[in-house]
Amino acid sequence: MTMLRAERVTLGYAGRAVVHDVSLDITAGGVGLIGESGSGKTTLARAFLGLLTPISGNIWYGDQILKKADMRKFRKDVQPVFQAEALDPRMRVGASVAEALAVRGSRTARARVPELLEQVGLDPGLATSRPHQLSGGQRQRVVIARALAAGPRLLILDEPTSALDVTVQARILDLIASLDTERLLITHNLAVVERLCRTSHVLFAGRVVESGPTRDLLANPAHPYTLALRDAVPKLGGPPPQARGVTEAVPAGTGCPFRFRCPLAAPECERPPALREVRGRQVACHRAEDVLATGPGSAP
Amino acid sequence: MIEVRDLQVRYAGRLVAGVPELDVGAGECVAIVGESGSGKSTTLLSLLGLTENADISGHVRVCGVDVLTASPRRLREIRGARAALVMQSPQSALSPATRLGVLMRRALRLHGVGSGKDGRLDEIMAESVAAVMLDRAILRRYPHEISGGQAQRFAIALAIALGAEVILADEPTSALDVTVQAEVVGVLRRLREERDLALLLVSHDLALVSTIADRVLVMKDGEVVESGPAARVLTEPSHPYTRELLEALP
Amino acid sequence: MTSPQETTAEVPLRRLLPRVPDRFAALGAVLIVLIVLAAIMAPWLAPYPDEPRPLEGSLPPGAAHWFGTDQLGRDVLTRILYGARTSLSIAVSVLAVSALAGVTLGVVAGYAGGWVRDAIMRVTDVFLAFPALLLSLALAVVLPPSVTTVILAIAVTWWPWYTRLAASVAASIATRPYVDAARCLGVPAPLIVWRHVLPNSLTPVLVQMSLDAGGVILTAAALSYLGLGAQEPTAEWGLMVQQGQTLFTTNWWIGTFPGLAILVTAFAFNMLGEGLRNALDPRARKVT
Repeated sequence: MTMLRAERVTLGYAGRAVVHDVSLDITAGGVGLIGESGSGKTTLARAFLGLLTPISGNIWYGDQILKKADMRKFRKDVQPVFQAEALDPRMRVGASVAEALAVRGSRTARARVPELLEQVGLDPGLATSRPHQLSGGQRQRVVIARALAAGPRLLILDEPTSALDVTVQARILDLIASLDTERLLITHNLAVVERLCRTSHVLFAGRVVESGPTRDLLANPAHPYTLALRDAVPKLGGPPPQARGVTEAVPAGTGCPFRFRCPLAAPECERPPALREVRGRQVACHRAEDVLATGPGSAP
Repeated sequence: MIEVRDLQVRYAGRLVAGVPELDVGAGECVAIVGESGSGKSTTLLSLLGLTENADISGHVRVCGVDVLTASPRRLREIRGARAALVMQSPQSALSPATRLGVLMRRALRLHGVGSGKDGRLDEIMAESVAAVMLDRAILRRYPHEISGGQAQRFAIALAIALGAEVILADEPTSALDVTVQAEVVGVLRRLREERDLALLLVSHDLALVSTIADRVLVMKDGEVVESGPAARVLTEPSHPYTRELLEALP
Repeated sequence: MTSPQETTAEVPLRRLLPRVPDRFAALGAVLIVLIVLAAIMAPWLAPYPDEPRPLEGSLPPGAAHWFGTDQLGRDVLTRILYGARTSLSIAVSVLAVSALAGVTLGVVAGYAGGWVRDAIMRVTDVFLAFPALLLSLALAVVLPPSVTTVILAIAVTWWPWYTRLAASVAASIATRPYVDAARCLGVPAPLIVWRHVLPNSLTPVLVQMSLDAGGVILTAAALSYLGLGAQEPTAEWGLMVQQGQTLFTTNWWIGTFPGLAILVTAFAFNMLGEGLRNALDPRARKVT
């Protein structure tokens, strides 16, 4: 059984739904959540972290509904890694990490800080620095150290490297890949997902439009949005990135949410497509077979 | 259109950007790539005389104007008109309570474009908006009503309407989603071909740069470590830092 | 490639001080330091600290009495120096009481949100619905005139502003990733507020306090001027202005010098506050 699972969750703020009826298992081997800004991926991550209660549907933690579960155990098991800004600007970074240890009732909290900093590749001497004295990459390592302090089995990583320079980004990704935890990775960067996640889910307008093994999904998308995403990513020395269809139309309120942008939109797209099984994948598209036929190509 | 020799930009004596040579001709695209703190944005801003409190030496010509010695009046003539700056988030530069059409009209009048007959002005506006694949209706919108990609394309449309011959773009797409980025890049590519625009692009994204630039300058810690044709620099880099950048690509 | 953005709220005050380039702010700060020193050192600085009341009545400014003497023959400069003690202690007390009450409620409201926030904000709205000076006046009329009355009367109208300010700042701090991270670690809510939300909400409040000090001193002077605050023989600037007013045509110095003291002090606090506010404004901060 998977540790964390969303069952038909609808999420939103002030009664306005942002994520609609999403079911998703955090399976082994890394799970990627891909989508553009406003697709609801961060909202979904917050629900998995217990920071947001679903309007309807449930988040399951093992065999219990998260709301009724043992939160002490959950907080130990599941930890977030947000962007590098996730450190209190006034606190020495050692204190930030120690805070995580102290919550677990570890009396020797301070003593373990150097060990954790070393584990993420930082000089333990940096513990007395404040965040603004560190580089972006160092801050991100501290954020990871703090998450590890709880001894988690699952990390929920929300755009962990998108604010970093590429060379720094590469090293942080190496670090994340070396950690012995399960992971849910939220990002818009397809290459990162391909490296770190065996399974991926593509979110559009708050709905899962395609799920499946990351490699297959990017090699030969079955949903036109996945295809548009993949072809928009510039590849080194490759052809100019392609904009397929309209990129900024408002998601449709009824029917397929992607149809105003979709180059393949047909009359049947007025009906909302259900997720269905197509070649080992879950796809919400009436024309998945046609998309599969148009889009084989190299993954980014 | 852009000609730079021995440019050195210093803040308080410290060299922030040093560019020995940089040329961008009409219809060409040159990219400056580097990480944060490499001096790539400073270089771009110094070409329009927009670096405050900096000591600049060297030789910079943009659209035939010697930027470092030109009078403020001369500078204003090229800045915003013949040489347009496109920033990362143009929305913050648009006055929030003014419709985009009004904004554009004012900018055009200010630079004396299409003065006299309003019909000519409307024509220029409509044409420039169409050139970036925006709907004319956008001219009736307010800045907060449009998306990031639309704002970026509007900024480009404004540059074209003003008769820009050179576009200097500082990370024009890094705040955008990839699909939208593809579209904005498409617009830039097309304008370059159709209108012979010179394009100087500052970016951290090597992959993106490789698909659009003719030549590339790689900067690190204020210095150009490598430059040359994009195809060569990005496939057979000679400097270890360029190699490191390429290997870091996920 | 954006570097992590610190917001206004999270810039430690300490880091701003050396960067206040504003000459007016520096002048304000110097003036305030001088005024505070003058208040503390009043017994030593004042030319006639324990002067037995002479009988010759009011004298114009001269070598013996730089600012002259009042209708009872007391040295005006001496009374202004002692008056600084009254005014500053009123300002400090009012701001301390208001900020303590206001920030506590505001931070709780801002972090908790929901009905807690609604309840707290409705109460502050009730207080804010009355014109501040009228409410202060009404209270001051009911209570016996004294310095304590002045403090209470002003503090009652002042704290809701701090509640509002602290609530809005705390609400934005509460959405920061580091607060979420603390919640995910299972840090109890009161500890999150105490450790993360409160310290990061404080800077704008401190700036507001320095901006407000001048206003408090003016209001206190107004209440005393109206006879509702400090009473003879307490040296209080507003009271001194009131006493000097009737004699203005013949003995202008009795009311003018305390009036100037009020003006200079209020102005100094304003200059400092403005300077701090400008330094906090991200648009005024240097881009590197």
